[in-house]
Amino acid sequence: MNFDLDQEHLDLAAAAGEFLAGSASPAAARAALDDGAAARPGRAELVKSGYATITVPESAGGGGGSVLQLAVVAEQAGRVLTGPSLVSFARAAVLLDGDADRLAGLADGSLAVAVVDDSGPVLDAIGADTFLALRDGALVCGPGTVTAREPIDATRGLGDVELGQTVVLARDAGERWQRAERVGRTVLAAEGLGAAAYLLEMGVAYAKQRHAFGRAIGSYQAVKHLLVDVYVAVEQLRSLVWWAAWAADRAPGELPLAAAAAKAAAATTLEQAAETVIQVHGGIGFTWEHDAHLYWRRAKVDRFLLGDDVAAFDEVARLAMREATR
Amino acid sequence: MDFDDTPDEAAWRAEVRSFLEKHHPSGERPRDDPDAARAWQATLYEAGFVGVAWPQQAGGRGGTPMQQAIVDQEMARLGLPALINLIGIGMCGPTVIMHGSDDQKQRYLTRLLRADDLWCQLFSEPEAGSDLAGLRTRAVRDADGGWRITGQKVWTTLAHLADFGILLTRTDPDVPKHRGLTMFVVDMKAPGVTVRPLRQMNGDAHFNEVFFDDVRIPDAERLGEPGEGWTVALTTLMSERLSLGGGGTAVGPKPEVVARHVAEHIGALTADRQVLARQQLGRGFVAALGARYTGYRQLSKLSRGEFPGPEASAGKLSGTQSARDLTDLAVRVLGDDAPIGGGPWQTAQAVMPGMAIAGGSDQVLRNIIGERVLGLPAEPRADKGVTFKETLA
Repeated sequence: MNFDLDQEHLDLAAAAGEFLAGSASPAAARAALDDGAAARPGRAELVKSGYATITVPESAGGGGGSVLQLAVVAEQAGRVLTGPSLVSFARAAVLLDGDADRLAGLADGSLAVAVVDDSGPVLDAIGADTFLALRDGALVCGPGTVTAREPIDATRGLGDVELGQTVVLARDAGERWQRAERVGRTVLAAEGLGAAAYLLEMGVAYAKQRHAFGRAIGSYQAVKHLLVDVYVAVEQLRSLVWWAAWAADRAPGELPLAAAAAKAAAATTLEQAAETVIQVHGGIGFTWEHDAHLYWRRAKVDRFLLGDDVAAFDEVARLAMREATR
Repeated sequence: MDFDDTPDEAAWRAEVRSFLEKHHPSGERPRDDPDAARAWQATLYEAGFVGVAWPQQAGGRGGTPMQQAIVDQEMARLGLPALINLIGIGMCGPTVIMHGSDDQKQRYLTRLLRADDLWCQLFSEPEAGSDLAGLRTRAVRDADGGWRITGQKVWTTLAHLADFGILLTRTDPDVPKHRGLTMFVVDMKAPGVTVRPLRQMNGDAHFNEVFFDDVRIPDAERLGEPGEGWTVALTTLMSERLSLGGGGTAVGPKPEVVARHVAEHIGALTADRQVLARQQLGRGFVAALGARYTGYRQLSKLSRGEFPGPEASAGKLSGTQSARDLTDLAVRVLGDDAPIGGGPWQTAQAVMPGMAIAGGSDQVLRNIIGERVLGLPAEPRADKGVTFKETLA
């Protein structure tokens, strides 16, 4: 057993981190809020980089890579609030499995896909032209009408979707839908991991630099312990994300529990990190100019995506009880 | 990254499993009977399953941390209790390996692994718990080069059964407190050593008070140089947090066991209580899994020859918290019966407040992580640069 990223993963993280930091940023996320600018780097550039379609087979023009590789990239995407989400690409790659033409469209960028869940707004609906949904157990695909409302986080491309004329891609697609959702939860958790880890760095740096009552505020246990609790939560989330990604690739039997655990931990950890970092910053932390609220927005949106944290904890409990009494 | 056993690991697991299934004592938990527990540990040692990752010169097998983890996993799989000499194996032994003389290693380590000798760790004192370096037990040179020890230790696990202990003493009160300490191996049967068991809130008596009344220790039993005791103690403390946090599995009941118990009782609760119980189980389970896989990451680091640093404290911190939440849930799902019918779960719950203190309190561990992992500045201290004698004033 070796539960650690290999050198190949670390190299991938470094390269993806460099690309994403150069093409997306909290400043872009703020601009999207301010004047409705599109999320960065946007679909076209993300597809061109190859990172978004790592899990699309090589035969269709994708990277032919693993969910773990995509998760490693997604962590870097979360650090800079990249949009659109790698979750949409990950789910589409699973749902379109075997559909060579559409997969090729996903990989070359000619198809802009979003996945419509049964309830709640649709992630990356803005800018999508092709929608995938589950209707009466069948996987359907088609155009749709998107209505944007008042997004808390402009980088998530959220909208209500009214499906147009759809075609059935696969009947009895329930299992495939579930796998796509679990892979999506894993990638979402990886994005949350990156955002939370970045928040922690932001909070620690400020706590070292800011002085009050004659000393750095990070020397006060009240402040220090808040940040340590975030550190512990982030490290646990990192372990759960790697486990879920590994399970998606290598141990499908473990994926339901691992993906639910990662999703739940990501929801609570990112929120805890965002709330903590604003608290540590004091007044400056809740200004429009500071980056903290952009991550806080992510946290408040992400916890509802692909089921909320309450549902994920419930699923973990049910799966744990079922497994324990088998 | 790969969770699966390598072929070598799979072969090792099969060997361990078949041995344990053939030999493990049935019926009573061997821990309850010290002689049986010693005999069981000796049997395991002869089979090569104790001190697996210890060097061969130290009586170990010279194997890998992963092989040791596999033994631990297989023991847990059969519900076998921890070895009786766990403090010796997890804390005292590594300290002797790192700081002991060749003669000490020769005399002590193999006997420790076989449980011929049981060991304890004599650090805490009534006025030196979290602020360990504030300890007062004095060691003074005598005329023929040995040492005379006077003072009191407390919270000493296993002292009532132990043959030897590692003992942290003050040898120089005229320097700042961390610099005047010296570590020894002490014979717990030596004249002047008195052990008094302390009963804990769960009714057990694993801890003790230990009194040293002019106890003589030969200089050959010193561990490390005089005045270097703090450095030696840090080796012990890191090993302790690693073994307490180790994979998030060392503390409290296994989360799977709690899940089974909840599954068996949840049906009797009202619908709204069921929802709450599932939320609590979900949260506790996620935290326990997070701690477990974080422990695996540390194990992978160990396997590459890296020694985990202060981040190992996080495993003890989070493992304790999830164990506390899960035992609380285990009692809670008993519903109206909980206050008078909590039984072993209530006893397990009563261990948890102590776990959050033993081996470094939650707050002290947060300070360690905050300062040594995150690099946050230390709290100003009144005892810095001041001799120990002055701190007593």
